[in-house]
Formats: sequence, C-alpha cells, structure tokens
Amino acid sequence: MAIEIDPERREVAALGRVADWKGAHVLEVGCGDGRLTLRLAGLGARVTALDPDRSLIRTARRALPKAHSRQVRYYVGSASRLRHASESFDMVVFAWSL
Amino acid sequence: MVHALQEAHRVLKRQGQLIDVRPGPSHRRVGILHGRRWRLVGVMRESLEEDRAANAAIRVALSKGLFRREAYAKVDLWRHFDTLADFAGFLEEFTRLGADLPPHDWMVQRLKTALAKIPSTAKIVVRGPLELRRLRKGG
Repeated sequence: MAIEIDPERREVAALGRVADWKGAHVLEVGCGDGRLTLRLAGLGARVTALDPDRSLIRTARRALPKAHSRQVRYYVGSASRLRHASESFDMVVFAWSL
Repeated sequence: MVHALQEAHRVLKRQGQLIDVRPGPSHRRVGILHGRRWRLVGVMRESLEEDRAANAAIRVALSKGLFRREAYAKVDLWRHFDTLADFAGFLEEFTRLGADLPPHDWMVQRLKTALAKIPSTAKIVVRGPLELRRLRKGG
C-alpha cells in the first residue's frame, strides 16, 4: 500500500478506551472511504455511515468485507440534514468531519 | 458546525453519546522512518483555523446544554507514505478539500534530500495529534 493511516492502530485502541461499542447502533458522519467505519464494526458496532461525496461512498461499499456486510450500511448524505427519526441512535461519531 | 451538532443531538437517544474524532489543532511533523527510528525533516505550515472553529462549535454546544463532557483521549497518529509522490498527493488533498495550505515545495525538497541519503526501505511518516472526545447528550 502506498499510503497507510495509523498502521500502529493507535486510533482504534483509543476508540476502544473512550466508549463501549459492542452492539451499539452508531451513526458515523463523514465516513469517507470507510476506513474508520470498518474499525468501528470491528469493535462490535452496527454502523450507519454517511458522506456527502458519492465517489467515496462507492469506494467504501466496494471495500466492505463480507464479514461486516450485515453490520454496516453506507449512504450519500449531509450532516446538516440527517434523514433519521429523532432518538434513533446510541452513538453519533464525527469521523474527522466536524 | 453547530447545526450539525444540533442534528446529532436530535438523532441521539436519551443519554446517547457523541464521539468527536479529529486531528488536534497542531502543525503536523514530517519525517523519515528508517527501521524503528523516526527523524524529523520539517514541520508543516497548514492553517489550523478549521480545527479551532470545530473546537468553538463544541464549546457552543456545551454552553447550550446539548451535551456534557465525559472523556478525552489524545494519541500520536502516524501516516505512512511509501514515496515522495504519495506525500505530494497528501499535500494536494488539502487543496482539493479547500483547506488553506501555503506551498510546501521546500518540504518536498528536504524529504528528497533526506531520502537520497538512506536505503530505499525508508518511509515518509507524518505525525500529528489525534483527539477523541466523548460527550453525553444533555437535556
């Protein structure tokens, strides 16, 4: 791989320390290509992930491993107008996007 | 940004948690990793205005009682680049995202000089703080 972000996995270790993700229904805002999404799924979260960039969502969908396919859902959308009912998520993650 | 936080507050269940993960407002350090040794080559001069604006938005949300602080963590995040071209792509990404980044040709030149002196297995590594905040939904 030509570029690798956090191969030392310090980010995911810190995520594991700051919250209990197992079984949580998570909305991830600004998921990009899904790099962090897969790490959250690996921690046991069920993730609905959105990004305004259609091409990044396409990339994320292509890279979604079968093992996480029932845990993760991607869609194109904006943080300023979330298309979800009130009080529907246990956690909201701003993934490098605030 | 405050509006996005209000939306997050709306879709969170009672006592739900907001996790804010992003680079801290600090200039990234660029260096060469050879074996287990990282050596500083230069410090980037990127604008930190967006990071500061995000921190300000969090303060507003806290002052409005939308959330309360619960936990904070900070780690040293590394990005590895195999080649100078990969690093140049990273710099271009700032421009693509509309960030205010002055020319960094001097950094590319310094890296080129540094890489010429060591084996080809060396990598370019950009280091910077990554901050994680856990906020709890308020009233």
